[in-house]
Amino acid sequence: MVTASPYLVLVAVGAPALAGLATMLLPDARKLTRLSLATAGPVASVVLVAIHLGRNGVSPADTPTGTIPWVPSLNLDISFLVDGLGSFFALLIAGMGVIVVPYARAYFGHDAASLARFFPTLGFFTSAMLGVVLADHLLLTVLFWEMTSVSSFLLIGWDRDDADAGKRAMQAFFTTGLGGLALLGGILLFGGHTGIWRWSRLMAEAATISHDGTVVAAFVLMFVGAATKSAQWPLHDWLPGAMKAPTPVSAYLHSATMVKAGVFLLGRMLPAFGALALWLPLLVSIGAVTMLLGAVLALSQDNLKRMFAYTTVSHLGLLVAMYGLGGASTAEGVGTIHWDLTQIASHALYKAPLFLVVGALAHLVGSTRVAQLHGLWNRPGAGTKAAAAVLLLSGYALAGGPGTVSFIAKELFFAATDHATAAHPLLAVVGVMAIAAAACNVAIFVRLAATVFGLRSGAGDASETPDATHREPDSWSFMLWAPAAALIALQYLGGLVPTLWNRTFSGIEANVHDEAFADGLPWAWEPFLHPGMPLLMSMVAIGAGTALGFSRWMRGDLVDVHARIWPATYRGILRGGHRLFHSLQTGHLRHYLAVVFSVLTLCIGWAAWADPAMLRPPAGMDPFEYPAGLLLGAVVCAAAIALPMVTERVVRVLVLGASGFAVVGLYLVYQAPDLALTQLMFEIISVILFLLVLRLLPRPDHRPRIRVLPRLALASVVGISIGWMTLLAGHAVDNRAEDAPTLGKFFEAHSLEGSEMTDGRGGEGRNVVNVILVDFRGFDTLGEITVLATAVLGVWSMLPGRRRHREEEDLAVDTGQGAQP
Amino acid sequence: MTTVLAICVAVLVTVSVYLMLSRELKSVAMGVFALGHGANLSIIAMSGSPVLADGGLRNPPILGVADLVDPLPQALILTAIVINFAVMGFLLTLLIVTARRTGTINVDELATEDRPDGGRAGGDR
Repeated sequence: MVTASPYLVLVAVGAPALAGLATMLLPDARKLTRLSLATAGPVASVVLVAIHLGRNGVSPADTPTGTIPWVPSLNLDISFLVDGLGSFFALLIAGMGVIVVPYARAYFGHDAASLARFFPTLGFFTSAMLGVVLADHLLLTVLFWEMTSVSSFLLIGWDRDDADAGKRAMQAFFTTGLGGLALLGGILLFGGHTGIWRWSRLMAEAATISHDGTVVAAFVLMFVGAATKSAQWPLHDWLPGAMKAPTPVSAYLHSATMVKAGVFLLGRMLPAFGALALWLPLLVSIGAVTMLLGAVLALSQDNLKRMFAYTTVSHLGLLVAMYGLGGASTAEGVGTIHWDLTQIASHALYKAPLFLVVGALAHLVGSTRVAQLHGLWNRPGAGTKAAAAVLLLSGYALAGGPGTVSFIAKELFFAATDHATAAHPLLAVVGVMAIAAAACNVAIFVRLAATVFGLRSGAGDASETPDATHREPDSWSFMLWAPAAALIALQYLGGLVPTLWNRTFSGIEANVHDEAFADGLPWAWEPFLHPGMPLLMSMVAIGAGTALGFSRWMRGDLVDVHARIWPATYRGILRGGHRLFHSLQTGHLRHYLAVVFSVLTLCIGWAAWADPAMLRPPAGMDPFEYPAGLLLGAVVCAAAIALPMVTERVVRVLVLGASGFAVVGLYLVYQAPDLALTQLMFEIISVILFLLVLRLLPRPDHRPRIRVLPRLALASVVGISIGWMTLLAGHAVDNRAEDAPTLGKFFEAHSLEGSEMTDGRGGEGRNVVNVILVDFRGFDTLGEITVLATAVLGVWSMLPGRRRHREEEDLAVDTGQGAQP
Repeated sequence: MTTVLAICVAVLVTVSVYLMLSRELKSVAMGVFALGHGANLSIIAMSGSPVLADGGLRNPPILGVADLVDPLPQALILTAIVINFAVMGFLLTLLIVTARRTGTINVDELATEDRPDGGRAGGDR
């Protein structure tokens, strides 16, 4: 088979971002052009992906496109995997993008500044998300994954004047960003252990991957990444918080696309990791808890956006549990997962309209509170009625009522739990939880319907004053509800006339395990002709949910205890950082130095621990080799030891000088006349300088010294370590073979005349040290001179004369500061 | 000779670290000075012992004779001496300016004066 070209897909991925950036070049007045351009990006993605699929077909999961080299040293290249899962998500993301862009135009209205900012950000997100779902290289996936976190951050914190939005954006970024790090860690661990860096290879070699500890750890880390992105319990709180974003963002990112990235990742991982013993219990338990918790919390919300956010959390839990149950298919061949993409598409097709219509209501009614919708159906205005209709139709799909794709999707999930329970009886709990969650969704619909039609069992009344979001309708107002109507129409089309849906999805669905649904989605009435466990579960859920909806239970804001996790973590991090800062940054020089020296000795100690040969004394130690040298060494040591003991300042400087002059003597023994000369000169100047400076410094105070023992202990440890290093290295030089090649010999050989190694040029000098300084290592010397010049400049700028002059000027400006001693 | 040098390095580094941990900036400056000597001696030890088997010394690294010592450490140290001197001059000037500005060269007193919050805990970020 011919390898597909990656360029088409690359352009498809990049198109939204490029189009979004291009809109920034247009003048503010060209609104329609800007809108068309921004829409053209995702449209191009849809078309290009479709062309790719038309040319190459849906590729099997183990066949990537060709590669474009990128970072060869990391073995990282750009290649794509346009299999069923990837292409479905790509079309979903780009398709939703096409719808959201014009909606955003209607939502933001004439706020040109917001739109100018919105289109590039949205394009950036769309491209990032397309990259996540299409990338073949694991690291490329992570890269795009992080980009979705960043764009999500930008979009949640859209309202720059709203401090709470900023906090929520930070929470979302923190949670998903940490998850992204976990994902990266998992991928690195897995890739390093198995050498598999591509999804395609992962699929191809799924059966050969061993289930050892490293792979399990990598899987858990990757799951953490997926779970945080898809807002799983207990870290789901960021998703309701993300509703601070403008409604187009909530509809697009936080219901239909980005939050599905985690689910997508699990779908990618299922063939490879589904057989792990941990897969089913981990995913199903987390997913089921999230599903039920989200549903219960959703029912008790008063704000529509928060309510739908929690239903999103709930459905994400269901999707995770769905893939979790799918582990039984991979491991044991039980039919526990079927048409998972339909399940995902179904959610996107009713959740996006719900959010879109909430945005419409915010403009038409001026509120997103349920109580404000009382009697909405009977209010004047065609737009209002249309919005109400879309709200109810989407709500019906949320409830999973017969006639929608959502109903069949719920049946599929119930069937999966039913089959799984047959294999593992304990999973019956999941079935019960699924019924309870479904009942909550039905109850939400019942309440919404009762409120919209103005029944008494609906929520509250419309006596409250509307919020300020109300806006007079303009020519674009129909776009507030029209996209939602188009999306929800697909739900009913697929539910009532499944032929088209089946033809579309049968090509891309990979997980087909249930014989009862072998031909795809059934016609709407078919489940009723063959009643079974799933239908019974649906009916129980609908019955219980209707009763719950009309009851007085679970109204008013139920507080989500998990909302406390983030503030507590945030405070803890700040406080911990504060404490750490103050324990490290004391402002005391000696504390910093102590840390630096301790780390130095620890490093040396660690090296000695790694290589115990370092602790063995070297051969050939002979201190009495050269008596004159020994004498000079003794002077150096004696003067150095005397230095801290002497208290008289002038004597101290002289002692310091004495040690320096003895060092000059050692240089002479080491046959370094240049060094000796230079050192001698600078030593004399230094001693004089020191003596002069002493005159200008205040007398020392005679307070008790800092405790001597710890100082001496640290100093001795550092000194002995460095001395030991010198001993080892020096003797290594002494003990090496006479003809061992050294840099010194190279310099000796080339000091006078060159060879082909130095392009035939030599240093033309006999004093090798000088030749090194001015020729071979001339840039070092240039640096040295620079340091010297810098120091001179520094000293000159601080000179007392200049200072006095400047301070007098300061004094003329304001008195009080700058008194001269 | 390498052994002697290693002992000198150990003593010099010990003394200089001890001095740098003291309370007075003047002692710290002396510590820095002594540390320079210690480091230079440590580098020169890398040229190996200059003492030959017959008790005589090798020759300085000037072409024309046999048994030269390694020139590279010497070149490195020559650079280091000059930089040491520059640092020393800068440090001493800094000492004078500090003493004039604050009236003290006590590290602890400077610690409480330098901090933007006056040495107390504070500031959220």
